[in-house]
Amino acid sequence: MRRRSFLMLAGLSSLFWSSMLRELFAAQGPTVVVAEGTDHDRITRSAVNALGGMKRFVKPGNTVVVKPNMGWDRTPELAANTNPLVVAAIVDECLRAGAKKVKVFDRTCNDQRRCYKSSGIEAALKGMKGVEVKHPEEERFKKVSLGGKVLKECELYDEALSADVFINVPVLKHHGLSRLTIGMKNIMGILGGKRGSIHKHLDVALADINSVFKTHLTVVDATRILTAHGPQGGDIRDVKLLNKVLASTDIVAVDAVATTLFGLKPEDIAVTVEAHRRGLGEIRPERMKIVRI
Amino acid sequence: MRKLPPHRICQLLFLALFLVLFLMTEYRGSDRIVAAVNGFFRADPLTAVTTMLATKSFVPLLLPGLLVLFFSLFLGRFFCGWLCPLGTLLDLVTKRVGKSVAPLTIHRSVKYWLLLPLLAASLFGLNLAGLLDPIAILLRGLTFALHPLLGNTLRGGWRGLYGIMGESRDLIAPAYRLVNDYLLPFREALYPLAFASLLLLGLVILLERAGERTWCRTLCPLGTLLGIAARFSPLVRTPDAPCSACRRCAHVCPSGFDRQLMQKEECLDCMACVAACPSGKVRFSFGLLREEGLLMERRVLLGGLLSGFFLARLFRFRDPAAQARLLRPPGVRDEGEFLQKCVRCGECMKVCLRSALYPAIGRAGLEGLYTPELIPRLGYCEYNCTLCGQVCPTGAIPDLPAEEKKREVIGKAVFDKNHCLPFARRIDCIVCEEHCPIPQKAIRSETVVMTGFDGEKRSVKAPYVVEELCNGCGICENVCPLEGRAGIEVFAVKTRTPLAAEPAAGGPAPATDAPYGG
Repeated sequence: MRRRSFLMLAGLSSLFWSSMLRELFAAQGPTVVVAEGTDHDRITRSAVNALGGMKRFVKPGNTVVVKPNMGWDRTPELAANTNPLVVAAIVDECLRAGAKKVKVFDRTCNDQRRCYKSSGIEAALKGMKGVEVKHPEEERFKKVSLGGKVLKECELYDEALSADVFINVPVLKHHGLSRLTIGMKNIMGILGGKRGSIHKHLDVALADINSVFKTHLTVVDATRILTAHGPQGGDIRDVKLLNKVLASTDIVAVDAVATTLFGLKPEDIAVTVEAHRRGLGEIRPERMKIVRI
Repeated sequence: MRKLPPHRICQLLFLALFLVLFLMTEYRGSDRIVAAVNGFFRADPLTAVTTMLATKSFVPLLLPGLLVLFFSLFLGRFFCGWLCPLGTLLDLVTKRVGKSVAPLTIHRSVKYWLLLPLLAASLFGLNLAGLLDPIAILLRGLTFALHPLLGNTLRGGWRGLYGIMGESRDLIAPAYRLVNDYLLPFREALYPLAFASLLLLGLVILLERAGERTWCRTLCPLGTLLGIAARFSPLVRTPDAPCSACRRCAHVCPSGFDRQLMQKEECLDCMACVAACPSGKVRFSFGLLREEGLLMERRVLLGGLLSGFFLARLFRFRDPAAQARLLRPPGVRDEGEFLQKCVRCGECMKVCLRSALYPAIGRAGLEGLYTPELIPRLGYCEYNCTLCGQVCPTGAIPDLPAEEKKREVIGKAVFDKNHCLPFARRIDCIVCEEHCPIPQKAIRSETVVMTGFDGEKRSVKAPYVVEELCNGCGICENVCPLEGRAGIEVFAVKTRTPLAAEPAAGGPAPATDAPYGG
């Protein structure tokens, strides 16, 4: 009798162990949350909560920089800038987690004032205590040594460098050169100097920059995506309403999953491939834990 | 404190208004400018007369100017004594400038030799009035020289503070923000002719050394025009000559009594003589017109008009190479018509969001001096912006709604394949395509497989311009990462037919929610 029960125990435990082992392997990959819903504020918060909540990233008294995409003079429906509701939700979550100061800025491509206004982000954050929506100033870009493959050094914004937490909030959209622009490329918003000169080797340059500058949390706005004529669009027919928000601590992983929303494979985007090759994150969806809520 | 006479109060109010409007002629967060300093130009009779002469049509925008001229027929040069901001400025600084011992006498005909050629030239299609118009002189001095100087100085100081204080400078940032947002120009633009504009303003002020309001009395074409109208005014001063024993009124008169008789075309209606007369004998009242002396000699009249004709006809040379790159603000379709209407006030250049407009020096010939031209390498025309058309006092740049302005053609972009990176160096770029604001993209790219100069085979995106979609805004040339000359340049075109309107969206509309507020 005891041998039989022993064999049963061994057989059952092997099942238990194999699923445990599977869990073990899966837990080693990064978690990417894909939240879906029409309430863009709510799904943003759920996405962050599914990662452990904003308190996992922001400690009381922290200075946080939230870097949305607001580089273009376009209104929110045109999906050239990050959805203001998504940005406001992130900022609010930071404040609730106890952040002392939340700074929101972007080095725009069009007129600074028009971009901040048309994107709706400045208005969405108006009146929130402890929140500074400000224009970057020329003198505050600091030289950062990269020692990268193509960029030996670059200029990054001092407030982004000195922040306790950096939250990257890009909008998912088409881009003529890199095909898509997501988290990795959104870092260009804190880049100083002549940004246009890195396009000749964009994928390698972005890997150089992101190797040194770490993003704590990336939240990809896929509520509305720009499917063509990016990165600024202008034609409402190019915008697709997806109602999704992705979040991850792994900037490469979230870019990879976001790519699939376009019907493309992660390897189709050179920027993501180069980043993975440099060990900045995971590119293979099967190695990630994708949580859909 | 001495009680201010009524005309002084009015002067100060209008000068304050001018300065406030000047600071408000700027993008302030709304697509339409609420109030702009162009109000002063629209009420400027010289602007009104010369523009209507040049266009040979009634320009409704300039009706206030005609009204001022009309009222001057009854009230004399009240504009000069009560409203003109440059006149007020002169009054304020005249004591500081001092007076030279030997007074400079400017012959009384000189002002007619300035006004008449201006009027005649306008009649023959060349509107140069803005060059010597007092409001334009003041505005240009502020816009091109003094305001940028203030901005650069304060901003330079603010920047230097960062080098000393670092991030702790944020503590005093709110105070700086206030100054920056309301007093300083938003962009740092360096204008050509900045020194010349300041010099002209400075010379007008310096003329005060020869006597109070020397410019107004002896040179100002606007004042001269109003003076001619003042000749018909029934508003007369009695007595018409200073009493030989006293002469106090002649002393205080800003326009001076350089002759025994008061000159009606020079009187600024300030009524200082009324206040100064110890026996209260001086009165201004409506009465019968007196017999006045000759306004100007016949040869001055004929000579002035003829000079204007020559001015309009002889400064027509244009260098063709420069012409190819002469770009005008959006909405300007015909160069000739533009030159007739542009009063060279400088407002469009002040308000341009991206500092794209600059006063032309040589590219538009001498006849185009101080008219605005767009220099893409320095600034581009922001797609959704319509500010220049809003502030133009004469409509030389039309005030168009945004959807129409986007379709106006400034020029057409052309690639310089000798420089453009994908062609010349076989490496990727297309920053121009990235920034092209046309929703359907006027710059597109085709993927070409080529062997790089390093021997590596690679695919490169080679850009090309879709001419039917390009409106010549210039952002492509502006952002091209090449140093010096850009790999894509905007060239002027003769026929500036607007771009075709967007075809109606075919098929089902995409599922969009209601636009977000803000």
